Amino acid sequence: MSQNFITEATVFEEVKKAIAETLNIDKDSITAESSLIKDLGAESLDFLDINYRLEQAFGIKMARHFILEHIEEMFGEGSAIDANSRITDKAVSLLQFRMGENFPELRAGMDMDEVPALVTVQSLTRGVLDILDSLPEKCSACGNSEWQSENSLRIKCGSCQEYAAFTNGDDLIKAWLTKVQEEKKIF
Amino acid sequence: MMKILQGIDIVDISKLKRIIQKNKTFISDIFTEKEREYCESRKDPYIHFAGRFAAKESFMKALGTGFSGIGIDHLFQEIEVLPAPSGKPELHIKGWAEKLAKKRRIRQCTVSISHASDYAVASVILIGN
Repeated sequence: MSQNFITEATVFEEVKKAIAETLNIDKDSITAESSLIKDLGAESLDFLDINYRLEQAFGIKMARHFILEHIEEMFGEGSAIDANSRITDKAVSLLQFRMGENFPELRAGMDMDEVPALVTVQSLTRGVLDILDSLPEKCSACGNSEWQSENSLRIKCGSCQEYAAFTNGDDLIKAWLTKVQEEKKIF
Repeated sequence: MMKILQGIDIVDISKLKRIIQKNKTFISDIFTEKEREYCESRKDPYIHFAGRFAAKESFMKALGTGFSGIGIDHLFQEIEVLPAPSGKPELHIKGWAEKLAKKRRIRQCTVSISHASDYAVASVILIGN
């Protein structure tokens, strides 16, 4: 399901804030299309810092495993990456379904290590929104459906005051891969 | 035909220290239990955490794996850097990192770590078929 408590604009602003604080750059210089590596100069340690900031801001757990690893786990060795560390046609089809226009430079045969440069502010925003949209119908602590927003960043149960427990990033990817495979029969 | 792959990385120790101190799960997400034991037994753990982080990153660069970007990449945990009895660091890989190394037919790897002032640096050389 989707949720209506935290808007895409709010998530986008929070992602920009996390990036600006991590990289010590002006928030206004960041656009939706900015590549974190190519345009903003982020390195792997910065990515970790940004992801941790977003986890703390929204009370979510981002994925711990690369989607390409999940694809190989579910559809077998060689389904996502070939012997030369290049991304397969089928994996690209899947990633295009998932990221859509957020990954316009994605192409079959590209090296795995080219993927991080494709991550933009918009794709990171989408990643956070996907997790927030896993908001369960009812509170897992008290069973009531009285969600409310706190500081426009956290979702809390109006009945027992517990924060919402979202599906983690890895489980969301796995559920999504299962659904797409059933619908599209890519593998 | 033999192929040689190389990766190098430099880490700002103060920056890593700031991130570790701010995020409770960073150390357990990125470093294995044995790495944590080793680093925390040293006089200044952050120098050793930084050297290990640089070694993990160097391995990823040499192998050409990239990292996920959206999320906290578990690949860091799967590349373990521990001292051999001689004191020289060694890489131990498992999981997805091991699978990717097998795909590239890597049969040998070496790692070297150094640090000075506020920086730690590491270099990894992989030899494959």
